[in-house]
Amino acid sequence: MAERGTQEVRPFLAKWALVAVPYLWSLLFFLAPFLIIFKISLSQTAIAMPPYLPVIGSLGDLWTKLSDFTFDNYIFLTEDPLYYSAYLSSLRIAFVSTVLLLIVGYPIAYGMARAPKSLRNALVMAVILPFWTSFLIRVYAWIGILKPEGLITIALQALGILGPGEQIHVYNTETAVFIGIVYSYLPFMVLPLYAALEKLDATLLEAAADLGCPPTKSFWVITFPLSLPGVVAGCFLCFIPIVGEFVIPDLLGGSETLMIGKTLWAEFFNNRDWPVSSAVAVVLLIILVVPIVIFQNQQKKA
Amino acid sequence: MVRQRLLGAAALTVALATGAAAQEKVVNVYNWSDYIDESTLEDFTKETGIKVVYDVFDNQDIVETKMLAGGSGYDVVVITGSFLSRQIAAGVYQPLDKSKLPNLSNMWPEVMSRVAEYDPGNQYGIDYMWGTTGIGYNVEKIKAIMPDAPVNSWDMVFKPEVVSKFKDCGVQFLDASEELIPAALKYLGKNPDSKDAADIEEAGKLLASVKPYVQKFHSSEYINALANGDICVAVGYSGDILQARNRAAEAKNGVTINYVIPKEGANMWFDIMAIPKDAPNPDAAHAFMNFIMKPEVIAKSTNYVAYANGNLASQKFVDPAILSDASIYPDKETLANLFSITPYDAKAQRVLTRVWTSVKTGM
Amino acid sequence: MIEAVGPIKRKFAPWDDPTLKPFIRFENVTKRFGDFTAVDNLTLDIYEREFFALLGPSGCGKTTLMRMLAGFEQPTEGRILLDGKDLSGIPPYKRPVNMMFQSYALFPHMTVEGNIAFGLKQEGMDTSNINTRVAEMLELVKLEKFAKRKPHQLSGGQRQRVALARSLAKRPKVLLLDEPLGALDKKLREETQFELMDIQMELGMTFLIVTHDQEEAMTVSDRIAVMNHGVIAQIGTASQIYEQPASRYVADFVGDINLIDGTVSAVEGGVATLHCAGVDATIVAEAGPGEVAVGAEAGFAIRPEKVQISLEAPPAGTPNVLSGEVWDIGYLGDISVYRVRLAGGSIVKATVANLTRIVERPITWEDKVYLTWPADAGVILLK
Repeated sequence: MAERGTQEVRPFLAKWALVAVPYLWSLLFFLAPFLIIFKISLSQTAIAMPPYLPVIGSLGDLWTKLSDFTFDNYIFLTEDPLYYSAYLSSLRIAFVSTVLLLIVGYPIAYGMARAPKSLRNALVMAVILPFWTSFLIRVYAWIGILKPEGLITIALQALGILGPGEQIHVYNTETAVFIGIVYSYLPFMVLPLYAALEKLDATLLEAAADLGCPPTKSFWVITFPLSLPGVVAGCFLCFIPIVGEFVIPDLLGGSETLMIGKTLWAEFFNNRDWPVSSAVAVVLLIILVVPIVIFQNQQKKA
Repeated sequence: MVRQRLLGAAALTVALATGAAAQEKVVNVYNWSDYIDESTLEDFTKETGIKVVYDVFDNQDIVETKMLAGGSGYDVVVITGSFLSRQIAAGVYQPLDKSKLPNLSNMWPEVMSRVAEYDPGNQYGIDYMWGTTGIGYNVEKIKAIMPDAPVNSWDMVFKPEVVSKFKDCGVQFLDASEELIPAALKYLGKNPDSKDAADIEEAGKLLASVKPYVQKFHSSEYINALANGDICVAVGYSGDILQARNRAAEAKNGVTINYVIPKEGANMWFDIMAIPKDAPNPDAAHAFMNFIMKPEVIAKSTNYVAYANGNLASQKFVDPAILSDASIYPDKETLANLFSITPYDAKAQRVLTRVWTSVKTGM
Repeated sequence: MIEAVGPIKRKFAPWDDPTLKPFIRFENVTKRFGDFTAVDNLTLDIYEREFFALLGPSGCGKTTLMRMLAGFEQPTEGRILLDGKDLSGIPPYKRPVNMMFQSYALFPHMTVEGNIAFGLKQEGMDTSNINTRVAEMLELVKLEKFAKRKPHQLSGGQRQRVALARSLAKRPKVLLLDEPLGALDKKLREETQFELMDIQMELGMTFLIVTHDQEEAMTVSDRIAVMNHGVIAQIGTASQIYEQPASRYVADFVGDINLIDGTVSAVEGGVATLHCAGVDATIVAEAGPGEVAVGAEAGFAIRPEKVQISLEAPPAGTPNVLSGEVWDIGYLGDISVYRVRLAGGSIVKATVANLTRIVERPITWEDKVYLTWPADAGVILLK
């Protein structure tokens, strides 16, 4: 009996250990940091180390200092249109970028999925390959391309499209931000689209044609709807990080490119206001959780 | 900003790793990048047997965040006055043990008294270098565009009729509210150190009026841009612009850069050495600071980086070309015109940042 | 199952009526993929309302032929006429033919209704007519209850019916069926075969089915074309193909066959005498197509169920007798297969319907037996 008992317990434990690992992981690397940030967002700034109050040293502190926590920082965010505009501007930039990514990425993914089988792996590699160099270096390279005396100007002057004194002024504008974002995030759009399109059974298109549907129409009624899971995955994979994007607008954008990532930076580093910056981060998280939940539901359905 | 942050993080890891591995005496120093003649560090080790782990940064905001978080592991940190003052209030630093710093007698009283504005009684810090925030410009281009340009005045960048002429050849400002707002206040004839919200907002309006002519607000890009001739006017740090001048001269690219302290007055800033409260090796930190205060040691770095130091006794070792350069060691009259900025309290800081954001984004 | 001859369904033989014009005509059609010739100078006529089967092993060109009719492939040479009109240059979506795909190719994101209505919508039919037609189709394939389901919520058989309904919905002039029943289990397949025949008769359409399953072809179709390497080996009704195979290939491909090799020693009035040295016998039988002449190497082909097996020697002088011993008996339930070893060592199969219980049957292993058959049961085919 005893032996049987252990035999039953072991797989039970093993099963729980298996389940526990991802939960512990989320707990440790997602929930715990979030709770810390949330706690700071309810605090107030102070000239101290760390620069906010109250500081909770023990569980007992939590009770006695509970009354020190306030939602003032969240109220503050509603009082200055800056934050509202920064969120909105980030969402707008993320939305426009995602649409651009879809427009650019879809034909690429489609071409890859329709390419001869022997070529496909090479094409996937070509999409992934730029990832092997540093992201920062690639964004810096765009500075060299876009700046007024950069490669585009040189090329256009050489072609005679621009006169010798003329330059293109894209660098430090929102256009440059879009270029940088579309370039940097393209693989995140192309790969899920490719995965969806490659799975697509070509006989479905034949069936559509057979039933009287011309090719352009069958793209919209068959190919596109069936690639929707890839479209959704690609859009979320791009949209969510772009909302919080900081590096690309900082390097390629002009000073007037307002994004929440930059605002958060200013709150944290310029104002040294950890509580407000934490509140900005928590609100950003909430804004992003909504699409993530939609995304997950979509995935479940698919 | 970002590149610097990443570099800083990587360097810190290295510093901590090496610091932990070494059992011998060590001092961990955190300073601005390109701010020392590195042979100084070897000399220090030779003299004292203490190994130096030298780590650099490019952005003080990040330094402050690290210091406020605590446990940075540094023994000596070099930080600008207004930052130091706030961090002292936060309890980041420990008072100096002056009995271990006999070389204090070499320091320049004029500088010491100005530093005392940030650090009353000079209890926590000792000046390392100091400089000004002024205007750098491309001599040939400005002459071509506007032969009678008011190059020695803030009119160059704050008067729309003037600065608009330079728009096409490129104008950059530091992305530093605590530099540009005081300069604008001074230009408007107000107290540059004003913490009054209305004053700050007025300075913001002035800056907003010239913003259309500013290509970019950035704290380091202008060095290369000036040297390459990509831009023709920049508001920047004296040392950086002088560096651009030297680079252009070395490159022989036909670009001549000049730096001026505007006649209305300019910000005089101080980079100050201090010892964190939780420094692992406070004795070594004192030894390091005392060593830096040796006249010939600090003079070597001044000769190397072309910034003035706060050590009066060192001036006889300073390269005469540097000592006589009024843009580095200003004459008495100019010196009298320089102002200093005390730290902003949280409320004023918020107004400052907000006004700055609105200058840059129009929001 | 070797239920040889399909039931005689109806008197329907337009191919024998010289006044009728073929509805579909493949005229000297050749299709090459690179070096590979899939269809080789093939000519074939199919008549209106005919249920026509293309039968052959994979790679014989039958699917390519069908895909050319649907418009998914273009003939390299030759042309295809439908109702007298040349189809070349007409894209698939403009051809009045519909296809039921082997994989069904149901649109996974649409409901059963949506799939069936798809073709009608492309025609621009108005909604109420579409609804009526969809309802008709659902009734036809008995899927009324499943209208709102998605394909992945259906069984294999139900999907097959949706695919059929979808391809029928537009009332095409010709319905192409590409291995339509291949994915179904045997029982369902047999049921569906009869349903297909009923539907074809009811709707009065021309059906062209591609299959590698000879039973299926024989069950459903009016005529069969047996294909091999891009050419047609034989065209005929099921019984013609089975009873009078035009070649060894057809004989071998369609059903089970015994082949006894020999040399033609006499030919007279379509009847040949075959001297089979290997088995020490002489066989007299109808000569198949081709030049069956004296001295030709040929073979006698006979279906196992036509061979009678007996323990008693037939009266002397009876032609077409082979003797041997029972080598093996295979019991298949409805029939038993006797494998009889002849003198030279070759094996001849004879099947016997199990009308009585097998234990009551007197023939058993190693018995000496005699094999006989009616005079017209076999055919002599050239090598």
